[in-house]
Amino acid sequence: MLGTRWMAKLRAGLVATGLLAVAACGGAVDDADGPVRVSVWAWYPEFKAVVDAFNASHDDIQVDWTNVGTGPDQYAKLKTAFTAGKGAPDVAMVEFQQIPTFVILDALVDMGQHGANDDKSLYAEWAWSQATDGDKVYAIPVDGGPMALMYRKDLFDQHGIPVPTTWQEYADAAAKIKAVDPNAYIASFGSDGGWLNGLMWQAGCRPYGYSQAKAKDQVKINLTAPECEKVVNLYGDLVSKGQMAQDKFFTADATAALDSGKYWTWAAAGWTPGYVAGSLKNTAGKWAVAPMPQWTAGADEQGDWGGSTFTVTKQAKNPKAATTVARELFGRSKAAWDIGLNKAFLYPLAKEVAADPAFTGKAYDFFNGQKVNEIFVPVSQKLGEFQYTPFQDFVFKDLNDRTAEAMSGSRRWSTVLGETQKNVIAYAEKQGFKVSR
Amino acid sequence: MTSGTAGDTTAKTWLPHVLMGAGILYFLVPLLWVVIAATKSQPDLLDSPALWFADFNLLENIEQLFHEDGGVYGGWLVNTALYSGLSALGATALAAAAGYGLARFTFLGKRFFETALLGMIMVPATALVLPTYLILSELDLVNTMWAVVLPSLLSPFGAYLVRVYVDESVPAELIDAARIDRASELRIFWQIVLPMMRPALVTVFLFTLVATWNNYFLPLVMLSDADLYPLTVGLTTWFNTAQQDAGNRMLFNLVVTGSLLAIVPLVIAFVLLQRFWRSGAAAGALK
Amino acid sequence: MTRSSPITAPAADDLPPSPRPVEHRPRRKPRRVTEHPVAGALFVLPFFLVVVAFLVVPLGYAFWLSLSSKSLALGTRFTGIGNYVRAFTDPVLLDGLLRVVLFGLVQIPVMLGIALAGALTLDAVTTRFALAFRLIAFMPYAVPAVVGALMWGFLYSRTFGPFADLPTLVGGDPIDFFSSSLLLVSLGNIVTWAWTGYNMIILYSALQGVPREMYEAAVIDGATPVQIALRVKVPAIRQAISLAVIFTVIGTMQFFTEPQIMARFAPQVSAGYTPNLYAYNQAFAYSDFNYSAALSFALGFLVFVVAYAFVFVSRRRGARS
Repeated sequence: MLGTRWMAKLRAGLVATGLLAVAACGGAVDDADGPVRVSVWAWYPEFKAVVDAFNASHDDIQVDWTNVGTGPDQYAKLKTAFTAGKGAPDVAMVEFQQIPTFVILDALVDMGQHGANDDKSLYAEWAWSQATDGDKVYAIPVDGGPMALMYRKDLFDQHGIPVPTTWQEYADAAAKIKAVDPNAYIASFGSDGGWLNGLMWQAGCRPYGYSQAKAKDQVKINLTAPECEKVVNLYGDLVSKGQMAQDKFFTADATAALDSGKYWTWAAAGWTPGYVAGSLKNTAGKWAVAPMPQWTAGADEQGDWGGSTFTVTKQAKNPKAATTVARELFGRSKAAWDIGLNKAFLYPLAKEVAADPAFTGKAYDFFNGQKVNEIFVPVSQKLGEFQYTPFQDFVFKDLNDRTAEAMSGSRRWSTVLGETQKNVIAYAEKQGFKVSR
Repeated sequence: MTSGTAGDTTAKTWLPHVLMGAGILYFLVPLLWVVIAATKSQPDLLDSPALWFADFNLLENIEQLFHEDGGVYGGWLVNTALYSGLSALGATALAAAAGYGLARFTFLGKRFFETALLGMIMVPATALVLPTYLILSELDLVNTMWAVVLPSLLSPFGAYLVRVYVDESVPAELIDAARIDRASELRIFWQIVLPMMRPALVTVFLFTLVATWNNYFLPLVMLSDADLYPLTVGLTTWFNTAQQDAGNRMLFNLVVTGSLLAIVPLVIAFVLLQRFWRSGAAAGALK
Repeated sequence: MTRSSPITAPAADDLPPSPRPVEHRPRRKPRRVTEHPVAGALFVLPFFLVVVAFLVVPLGYAFWLSLSSKSLALGTRFTGIGNYVRAFTDPVLLDGLLRVVLFGLVQIPVMLGIALAGALTLDAVTTRFALAFRLIAFMPYAVPAVVGALMWGFLYSRTFGPFADLPTLVGGDPIDFFSSSLLLVSLGNIVTWAWTGYNMIILYSALQGVPREMYEAAVIDGATPVQIALRVKVPAIRQAISLAVIFTVIGTMQFFTEPQIMARFAPQVSAGYTPNLYAYNQAFAYSDFNYSAALSFALGFLVFVVAYAFVFVSRRRGARS
């Protein structure tokens, strides 16, 4: 960075003048006699109680938690801190699709060196494979989003429309819904990178491949495979026909539309029950969950939308203590998962937590007493391997921009993935990668 | 007022009044919406007509506002006032001294410096934030209030405004006379020049105050501790939370109520201070 | 719009190196400057230090960053002007620039036109109603840009806002303010709402300083208020108008906050929607701080060129008239 000598002088001067008295720097500090303090950045709901539970059960390690923003906001702060060489926390919450990005930025500690490989059997296989690269453990899985179809049972029943089990039936249902209620849509195309990614995953599309351990500069990009194209074509077709709305997910407009009978379905995820129960008051009790429609009748292909992990950053002062925090904040902690399941509504990736009858057997008032986790849990077990690129932000942003063009009519849906593929390859090559398909 | 046509305000002026009425509607309706929306509970906010009242829930909203996340909103208010007050005071002081120095003295490099002032105004703020972050990070000042206050002291425009003002309104003879009386330079500045510059200083103070009060990008990048956030960053964080974790924390009513309370102090200050503000602006514009 | 500098129009003729144009204004005292080099320099020193610390050094640092390239797979290496070549051939940046220019070509004249009309009205009409108009028009300036953008985001939405469903009253379709065809207009409206009153007050202040003698003769000759406004008052405050234009152009070129906030409502706001947003995303989403610095520099340079060209042209015109 800057000349270190005059920086040091300047810093000494600032300290002398008292300017620095309040300077706070994140990071574990080993007091001679006190416990090790580990700083954590995370944006889970209700997380304070989880931290309290950890601190109550540990004498040698204490967690200092900060919420510096949701998703992209926190990543922006992490990236600036890594550029500056200081300011990052010891432990950071990172979503699955971002792990390779932080790995290539050389930001994450291999927790395998601190015994984290022992946890392999604890977590859903797909999650563990995304969190690791060979025996290098870059992240400890926390929550996921196995996908299933949420639908308005009352409306489907009332109009005698069968709940779709294949995507062809889904498209048929979309037309029928439009016919019975011109103001209604089967769902919204939500402009959410993770959601579209989950749908493509479920269709058997594996567009990305990257392993730093095998080859740092090799990346696979194949968005134009038929398994990927068929998803965009189906949804594009529904949007073009006016049978699918275009509200961005999680906006007030989309939430209100879900709650007013304007949308009849939502291809949602394991964390949805909590999300919708809190925000949809008018239609509570009228919804139900069914397995995702299949591309081939009778198949059992599944996908995941969302999910997060704990990582240990290279700026951690005490990586071993930080690894303990990453493994045990949620881990198998009963106290933590009690909050995680019942207040924060996370879908647990720890297998024994997901298998617990208290979770699978839980009846949801919002779904009229349906035990929806009986659907989500097998999905998570069924999920296979799915990889991401080390520049997934760029991929999702470009895909979003291209679908936005298609929605506004300035691009044909059939060219969305081809154009994204072209842009991503150009970007990857500029970044020094060798791209294979 | 100076108008040459004041007086015939009846028949001929109906058109301007209709147009001004339309303007008032345009500028006022969004603000009215905030006021109305702040009185609604979260469900009413989504369901009831946008520009009319539902159940009066303002006091509950305010109470919830100051209790959410352990009462962090109150801290944001204090931070915002503190950061903008300190920045405005500091920037005004620097601009006062520099403007006076440029207007009434000659020294090496002065001309170059003056020419550079306009150029400084044009540097995009976003271009400076990142390198400033990296430098302040080296000094361990990131994530402290100084990371927001110190860069906000920079007000090339303030210095420029003061220079123009001194040039026109502080007679050099007065300063020379004081020098003959053997007053020190500092004393001349403090006792003679400063009081005469007051209108320009009020203007510079208000501008820098508003600029820091409204600043979003700088604190967003510099601060990572929610207790240090100013209102702009804090409210945006809540808005994001409301969108991402709507199930657990539908905070839209708090975002709206919080926005209202963030706006009110400045609106009141501006209505009350508009006289000062305009006299300063006029001084800058015309003297 | 991130506009950290106020735009009270100091007459552009006070820019140091220029000859002062002849204007009708109170007589000036000859400028007197005293030779006390040390004292003078000491007065400027604190300000100078802040300029160095928070402007010169960061700019120099950013420039140094912009001369290297960082690629994810290959690491950082010195590339000289490579980033600038890339910037000016980057279709995303060029699209963003074009968008901002189009935006400015429509929004700036509309906003300043309304502001000027409002200022002239205020100068001619002095009723209480006019006073109320003046106060209310200025209020949006007190609303932080972020809060203003969030507020309009709510107002534009079908769920919260009163406007989207207006056409349904007469049987039309609801308006989607976030659709690609309306997005620029929606953004333009936010900016216009926020800054019109501010510019109006600036121009009004300038008008207040125009000496009455200048148009008394015209009043006696029976000129209408509109004629006086256009032929006497507007030329008299030409400098203030120019400065308002310059600062608005600078603000528009740096368009950032409103689109960044609006992206949370509208997927149509792409990663490179405006050049400044693109620079932001390059740094904070793609971790390419070097290219981001180059983009910021290129943008700053363009702003500089445009603003100085404008100053130059308006001075030339001023000198001729």
